[in-house]
Amino acid sequence: MRKQLSHPPRWAERLLQWACRPDYVDEVLGDLNEAYYWRLEEKGHRKAAFKFVFEALLSLRFTHLKPFYHFNLNTMMLGSYLKIAFRNLYKRKAYSVINILGLSVGVAASLMIFMYAWRVLTFDDFHTNEDRIFMLYKERITPNGIQPTYDTWVPMKSMIKEEYPQVVASTRRYGMTGKVKKDDVYIEEEITFADPEFLQMFSFEVARGNSTNPFSSPNALVISNQYAEKYFGSLQAVGRELNVYYPGEDSTIRYEVTAVLKDWPKNSSLEPNMIVAFESLPFYEGVKNLWGGSFIDNYVMLDDPTSQYVLLDAFPAFVEKIWDKEIAGRTNFKLLPFDEYYNTFLGSQQDAKILVFIALGILLMAAINFMNLSTAHSVHRAKEIGLRKVLGAFSGQLRGQFLVEALVLSFFATLAGIGIVALCMPLINDFFDIEIAFSQIGPPVLSVGFVAGFVLLLGLMSGSYPAFFLSKISILEVIRGIFKTKGGRQVRNGLVVVQFSLAVFMVTGALIVRNQLTYMQSAKMGFEKDAVVIINASRRDFTDREEASRRLKTFRDEVKAQSFVKSASLSYSIPSNWVAGFTFVRPEGWEGDPLRMGMSYVDANYLETMGIKLTGGRNFLPDSEGDQRGSVILNEAAAKAFGFDKAEGNVILIGENRLNVVGVVENFHYESMREEIKPTLIFHRTAENPVHRYIVCKMEMADISNHLSVLDGQWGALGTTNSFTYNFLDDSMAELYTSEQRFLRLVGLFTIISILIAVLGLYGLTIFVIERKRREISIRKVIGAEMSNIVLLIVRDFSAWIAGGLMIGLPSAYIFLRDWLDQFHYRIDISWTVFLLTAAVITTLVLLTVSYQAIRAASANPVKYLKED
Amino acid sequence: MNLQLGVLEEMILILLLMKQETYGVDIAQEYEKQLGQSISLPAIHVVLKRLESKGLVSSYMGEATAERGGRSKRMYKASSKGFQVAKSLQDNRTRMWGLVPKLNFSPL
Repeated sequence: MRKQLSHPPRWAERLLQWACRPDYVDEVLGDLNEAYYWRLEEKGHRKAAFKFVFEALLSLRFTHLKPFYHFNLNTMMLGSYLKIAFRNLYKRKAYSVINILGLSVGVAASLMIFMYAWRVLTFDDFHTNEDRIFMLYKERITPNGIQPTYDTWVPMKSMIKEEYPQVVASTRRYGMTGKVKKDDVYIEEEITFADPEFLQMFSFEVARGNSTNPFSSPNALVISNQYAEKYFGSLQAVGRELNVYYPGEDSTIRYEVTAVLKDWPKNSSLEPNMIVAFESLPFYEGVKNLWGGSFIDNYVMLDDPTSQYVLLDAFPAFVEKIWDKEIAGRTNFKLLPFDEYYNTFLGSQQDAKILVFIALGILLMAAINFMNLSTAHSVHRAKEIGLRKVLGAFSGQLRGQFLVEALVLSFFATLAGIGIVALCMPLINDFFDIEIAFSQIGPPVLSVGFVAGFVLLLGLMSGSYPAFFLSKISILEVIRGIFKTKGGRQVRNGLVVVQFSLAVFMVTGALIVRNQLTYMQSAKMGFEKDAVVIINASRRDFTDREEASRRLKTFRDEVKAQSFVKSASLSYSIPSNWVAGFTFVRPEGWEGDPLRMGMSYVDANYLETMGIKLTGGRNFLPDSEGDQRGSVILNEAAAKAFGFDKAEGNVILIGENRLNVVGVVENFHYESMREEIKPTLIFHRTAENPVHRYIVCKMEMADISNHLSVLDGQWGALGTTNSFTYNFLDDSMAELYTSEQRFLRLVGLFTIISILIAVLGLYGLTIFVIERKRREISIRKVIGAEMSNIVLLIVRDFSAWIAGGLMIGLPSAYIFLRDWLDQFHYRIDISWTVFLLTAAVITTLVLLTVSYQAIRAASANPVKYLKED
Repeated sequence: MNLQLGVLEEMILILLLMKQETYGVDIAQEYEKQLGQSISLPAIHVVLKRLESKGLVSSYMGEATAERGGRSKRMYKASSKGFQVAKSLQDNRTRMWGLVPKLNFSPL
């Protein structure tokens, strides 16, 4: 007798049982079993068992294994689900095309937004120390509120490092315009003056050259890879020399390139293409201990982000230590986290966030299309589902099947969407003046993960409801032929209303954004921006200043003499680029602290040329020395701030200098309409004064290109190497609104896309509704109903949806856009016409979509459909 | 018949021809008996599958027996094509062996 107690190892048996092809399992396991008992008698349990395990493992070869998807029932079913999914897609082509088209357009739009938003939202994130870097700035506490100013002092850097152990590193940064000599031409560039710590704090890495101490000599220059190519081509840049002429200093300095920086991501706020040691600043000796004037940026890197609170608490005492108690009372230091730098100076991440919400909305709309079409078509699938249930399908399996179908569809839609984005990318970048590319999303693994996640999200979002709904269909009803999609209708109506609300919201939003932008661009500016040409004519661009002054005066006189020039003037500033600097000023006899005001320089012709109106007093007297030194014109905001009720006769003090207020001008918008018009001081400088940067001409606009070429010819007679460059003032003003313009374009495009998706869905639904009502329509027709009655019957349903959409969409758009408009100081009121227009647009679109189908249904031959049953 | 067979394939085919009808464990035991060498069952199974796909053997599922843990055997039988192939291999071998000079071994 065999020992009954001995048995081959169970686990090996089970393993083989699980992994082996079912038709082989008996043979293999049976043979192994038999062999075990045979060996047991000869060699004992241990050896036999060992041999059993060994051979069991050896049996796990490819020919013996099940196909991978047979390992459990669910994965085995997956193959069947996929097959059915493809068959169904193919069987109902129109429906599949509507679905995939809607989804893929939605996917393309939202992908684009995500890429754009990703770029904006990850601005500056490539700096590994970003959370520990702060920009130092000061706040002035004035009676009118707190004014932040971001320029700080040169000696601050070492002082703050010595004062606080929490400061690991600190650097100064100052950008100065220089003209870099390349062969025989001078190219205007911004030279960044920064301390060596700059490269350690920020993640600008050295690619070639001296990486440990690139600023070892005062003439060392670190340049970006891009600039290395720009100036030296494919040649090795390190060790070569560049000459830079500083117009502000009237000096040329020769630099030697010591290091080349690696390319950094495009979404960087700082773009230090040419860096020179801060202490090599041409006027460094004069400012190195200057606490009286602030003009540079100071950045600190802390040991820990939370240390900022320690510093903020200690700052008041620090201010007192630098100056005195009196100044400490009205000045304080603050820290600006570096990840806020972009929002503070360059753009708005808020708009990007809004766009992400729009993207999600569009995706939702596309998903709703899918849900509605799938549930609406459940009638077609009811028999299939009933039969599956009769044959014993669990509802879990049915849900699985519909989810797989949704996933297949969303997979194709995503692929098509990516295709659309890839095709349109150059067009989009051009149209929106942005730079997005697939490569910016990150490493390929991340992109693939993102796309896979996207497919899953979209599939689950659009597939979960149909799966839930369809798997619940009752077999009995189907078999008895009384199946109706009753439960789905409520939900479907709800979803359509959601879709319409989103579309209404988008249309209203786009209209309001457009109105605000039009308002900003066409509102009365307080000056005439049309037909004004701004010619760049700064004496600083010439090497011989004395000569340049004379020649530019001649040029201006010649310009003025032209018949097509109505008026010409020289100035330091133009609206859109107004403030020359800030100063502290108080009226005579004023007790409180002086006020900080922007100032600018113009000549006596300026007010006339620009069409700025005096509300009181007089203009500057031409060529009057006295007016240059002792007179000022205020804008109304400044007069109000000083509390002057009369234009002339007042005196204001800057330090101990007395200035007579000779006139007051109407407020004019010299900045974006986002900002309130701030007080400004206007000083007179005669046309010969070297401070001026522009020649402002009021021109005859007819035949303007000829006129400009005449001016160009005269410019040539000046004998300068600088070319004739000019701008139209209205273009410069429009440039203030580039980000709003871009936002409008994006919102506009996505509005159109959302409407398109909504209409597509509507089209599909109309077909479905009409199909359901075929018999009713036919009978009505036979009895003698008018065609209009029948069309009305169909349109009735849809009008309820429009009403619902308007009721939800309009108020939410109103609330949301009211908040959005708050960022503009000069803003429109949201008017009823916008709502009416939205309602009209949406209603027209719906009617157009529906009535085509309705009329076709109403004019069809009723016999054709009555015969069927 | 110029079908190529590996040595193990040939051996097992011959064993099948000898036993008329047999299964895995029996082949392993017979192999050991005839050649004095042990062989693993998975190796036999793989060879059998290969021979079957070449059409040299056929198989059917036998009865379940208690000594195999209640599992049934798969019985294998050489087909007539299998017989032809084995025979032509043997014939070729015999013919070639006949051409080997029997007495003139060169000294090593």
